[in-house]
Amino acid sequence: MTSRVPDTNTKSDQALAGWEIASVVISCLIAEWVVLAFAGNSKGVLAIPVTLALAFMVFSHRARGESLRDIGFRLDNFVAATRLLLLPTVLTGALMLLFVWLLRGPEFRLAPFRLRLLTFPLWALFQQYALQGFINRRAQLALGRGLKSILAVSLVFSLVHLPNPLLAGLTLIGGMLWSAVYQRTPNLFALALSHATLSLLLALSLPTNLLYNLRVGLKYFG
Amino acid sequence: MKLAHALIAKSMAELILVAALAVSFYLAAFPPSIHGWGEARPHGIAGWAVNHHKPWARLQVQLFIDGKFEASTMAYRSRPDVVAAGWSKDEWHGYEFEALATPAPGRHEARVYALNSSRHGAQQTLQMVGDPIWFDVDDQGIWHPLPDHELLTRRGQ
Repeated sequence: MTSRVPDTNTKSDQALAGWEIASVVISCLIAEWVVLAFAGNSKGVLAIPVTLALAFMVFSHRARGESLRDIGFRLDNFVAATRLLLLPTVLTGALMLLFVWLLRGPEFRLAPFRLRLLTFPLWALFQQYALQGFINRRAQLALGRGLKSILAVSLVFSLVHLPNPLLAGLTLIGGMLWSAVYQRTPNLFALALSHATLSLLLALSLPTNLLYNLRVGLKYFG
Repeated sequence: MKLAHALIAKSMAELILVAALAVSFYLAAFPPSIHGWGEARPHGIAGWAVNHHKPWARLQVQLFIDGKFEASTMAYRSRPDVVAAGWSKDEWHGYEFEALATPAPGRHEARVYALNSSRHGAQQTLQMVGDPIWFDVDDQGIWHPLPDHELLTRRGQ
């Protein structure tokens, strides 16, 4: 069920995998912090680091001989991955709702649905591709399968959600869950489903003053 | 192309992007085309301010004395000497800060800043025009510019 992660025999290849992770994370940080600080909400400028990161990830997959199926764009293990994710997703969602209900008491109610929320599944798929399909696979090359690489991936996921403290904390936990499942059963569609479900619950249930509209990077302060 | 080469190329591209963004931001927020000058007069500060990129625009200038905001005005008064010296295309770039609260007797520092608007007004920055203006206030409340030799010593600090 697990996917083929290219073999790495040398220290230099492990280091290269580490640099690949760093490079993609730096692109994210440039998009979140530098572009907004210097170019405002210019989508054209924002597209540059995003495109560079995407182009590099595609190049890296090709250079390492990874197919779409290897990365996790597949359906054969969708049910198995969904089974693995179902209980933790439901539990996490229930805990989140319980937390919000305790926090807000009788004022608790779900926010009205907005059209923007329809993009969550696609956005979740993109994030899971970058996080698992690329960073997790490179982390396994650099650190091996297991706890070390799972922790590294979740830390990276949390880092790019700073300085939003709630999101950074939640993505650390979510990152660990999704990374562990990916290493066992790499299916990005199932991960995106879990990710989108929890994000929707967050966006609909948590008050804006806690969530800051899911803002990260410099936008968090704006 | 090897993976390491792609990594280096991407890093270089991002370095250039960040540098270009930083420089363009700096040029928009603090345009080097803004010039000006100011001096102490017996009852205030006067001078001129011009933006070479927008030679027909009148700049708003703000006065700070000893680091505290004092007053704001438009630089639209007649200064034919500024045109004659080649600093501007028309004479209407002078400013005067008068009728200010007289500072306590002693030495003070004034700074004049031009207000610059960028990103369609989303950002406004203050850019100092000319040098800091040092002056002494005597017991009668008259402002006196510092003698040249003292000014040179201050600027050398």
